[in-house]
Amino acid sequence: MSSLGPTVQERLEQRPAGIDGSPLPGPWPVGEYAQRLRGWLRERARLQLFGEVWNLRETRVRVYFELRDAQGALPCAMWRDDLVALGLTPGALADGAQVVVGGGLDYYPGAATSSPAFSFHVTALRIAGEGDLLAQLDRLRKRLDGEGLFVPQKALRRPVLPRTIGVVTGEGGKARDDVLAGLARRGWAGRLVWAFAPVQDRHAAPRITRAVMDLAALEGIEVIVVARGGGSLADLFCFCDETLCRTVALLAVPVVASVGHHTDRTLLDDVAAVSCSTPTHAAEAAVPLHCTQAREQVRRDAGRLAVHGRRAVIGRARALARLSRAPAAHLERERSRLHQSLREMRAAARRGAADKRERTARRALALDRKVQSAGLDGRRRQRLDALAAVLGAHDPQRTLERGYALVEDPAGGLVTSAAAARERGALRLRFGDGAVDAKVREATDE
Amino acid sequence: MSEELSYEAATERLEEIIKRLDSGEAGLRETLDLCREGRTLVERCATELDAVGKGLEELRLDELVARLENGAGGGEAAR
Repeated sequence: MSSLGPTVQERLEQRPAGIDGSPLPGPWPVGEYAQRLRGWLRERARLQLFGEVWNLRETRVRVYFELRDAQGALPCAMWRDDLVALGLTPGALADGAQVVVGGGLDYYPGAATSSPAFSFHVTALRIAGEGDLLAQLDRLRKRLDGEGLFVPQKALRRPVLPRTIGVVTGEGGKARDDVLAGLARRGWAGRLVWAFAPVQDRHAAPRITRAVMDLAALEGIEVIVVARGGGSLADLFCFCDETLCRTVALLAVPVVASVGHHTDRTLLDDVAAVSCSTPTHAAEAAVPLHCTQAREQVRRDAGRLAVHGRRAVIGRARALARLSRAPAAHLERERSRLHQSLREMRAAARRGAADKRERTARRALALDRKVQSAGLDGRRRQRLDALAAVLGAHDPQRTLERGYALVEDPAGGLVTSAAAARERGALRLRFGDGAVDAKVREATDE
Repeated sequence: MSEELSYEAATERLEEIIKRLDSGEAGLRETLDLCREGRTLVERCATELDAVGKGLEELRLDELVARLENGAGGGEAAR
């Protein structure tokens, strides 16, 4: 592999050996060849060509575009001064414009730091008419609209507070920063999935389509933003791609488009759920809720609920207290009544007892009086004693104690004769110290 | 059931509840019930807002896709 620039090695060797077996003359140094090529191309006939302008690009000193038609294209270059000198109305030379150019072939051999370029060097130019580009776009737009594809995305539910957002944008562009700024304005800091894709040139449309489909397939994705900074219609033409637009139209996830063309709407703007003028606005459309304000509101709501809750709890406590006092008061009344009854009963009982005592006392007194009035004094006692003594003398027990025995029959009747004894047969002899049973030997029954 | 309630629906219901409470027409029982429901809704909204308030989590689709494909590498060796 040899480098393009001269190395020390190659300077030392004048010329390397040719390829083994090659019939071609040479080798010659490439720079020399490039210079000669330019010379040869510049000698070709200068002529006029017509076609459509495509990918118009301006630098400080040069203007570049492709001149195209259905069969092929030519890269064109023009001095900016030459273009300005034409005095065209601003914007007349734009993508899609039909032009006639005059000039000749040229070749830029490149330099140490810039690449070589082949081009048709334009020295004269005339606008011939509006290009086919816009007409094509118009036809496609009518077709998709006719199929009702401008409707489905707009009917999708867009969450007010998504947790996960997908963003399709160019990796290096300003659009990325603008999207972040828009989300920061909303106070939103959730999950962001970046899908970087080229956002112009002919590779863009399929890559953007793929990115949108992959994002929509991710779990949890609630909204997709497709953002690009401004540009010419040709730059944005990838967003008019039929496949991309059909895919977005039927996507289950809402798409917010911000592809930034100031005069023409791209087809993506028509099929998307929302079309915004800038990536910042697109971010705000993706998160409709102003999160910082919402947090404040929720805090306020919580406070209001707490106030209502406290009042209600106090009210309930009071109501319960009232209810709970009622039985207590009732009990208190009952208790008082019971105490009263008890006091009365006790009082009544005390009175009853007192009455009884009084009565008893009165009776005792009466008895006492009776006793006293019966005259049971000393004299009477003496006489009683005497009588008791006499009685005692006659007490059969005394007789038994003197040694005599009382004879009874088993039934307890007295037996006072032998004949009666013989008749009874069985006798009971009662002595002073007890009784014994006896049998009569000479019983008449025997 | 509250998991299915969207943020918008939750805030709408919360607004209704607070309006009713502020009106002073709710009785004691209703007030307590509404306060309880309201607290649940407030928590739901706060949870949603917290989920997008901790810090931006940035992912790349190309990395996610690569991870997916590498993860499935074992069964896709034939590719």
